[in-house]
Amino acid sequence: MQNAPLRYAVVVQGGPYSHQAAHSALRFARAVIAAGHRLQTVFFYHDGVYNASRLAAPPQDEPQLREGWQALASEHGCELLVCIAAALRRGLIDEGEAARHGKPAHSLEAPFVLTGLGQLVQAAVDHDRLVTFSP
Amino acid sequence: MLLHLLNRSPASSQVPQDALRAMGAHDRLLLIESAVYGAVAPQADLYAALEGRCFALREDLVSRGLVEHCAPWIAMVDMAEFVDLTAQTQRTVSWY
Repeated sequence: MQNAPLRYAVVVQGGPYSHQAAHSALRFARAVIAAGHRLQTVFFYHDGVYNASRLAAPPQDEPQLREGWQALASEHGCELLVCIAAALRRGLIDEGEAARHGKPAHSLEAPFVLTGLGQLVQAAVDHDRLVTFSP
Repeated sequence: MLLHLLNRSPASSQVPQDALRAMGAHDRLLLIESAVYGAVAPQADLYAALEGRCFALREDLVSRGLVEHCAPWIAMVDMAEFVDLTAQTQRTVSWY
């Protein structure tokens, strides 16, 4: 690679298995890493929060999107941030929020982290590049 | 210099026209997902004036059976070249 490594953030606004956006975003994220850049943050927003569901059970012969995102976190230290306002109203909820809201189960767990929209603004400021994939 | 990332076909949306109106003289345009339908005649005429700075994602052309029909003024790029385009431009603007 000729240029210095850049810090990237990717924003995912499309749900899994409904639009191409999440697939495009995951392939782009992998290509960022393959090019020698640093994929620092993925921010899931709008219907993109469904990518984080730990209860999703897609057929085994289809792309495993959530596993793909998790691998970026475990193998490359990428932060997986989920907009809390978009997530709670769609039933994407971690253990702490489930307890706080009196819900019988939780659908989101590490490495996905519920966070505020301010983190997206911060990502736009902190990172060298921010690329959005929407349906 | 900006990279404009477009995922809408000119046959089904006004968004491509909006993107073109907003583009600066040196900005680049990358067609992804269903926007690659616009890389084929006659819709591709829309982008003829952008020769040298208009690109289409090869894998999205392949998945739609269009890779043999991409207009000569639109350059095909793979995912690695997509990343290079985002690195070469200061910001990426997504149109959807």
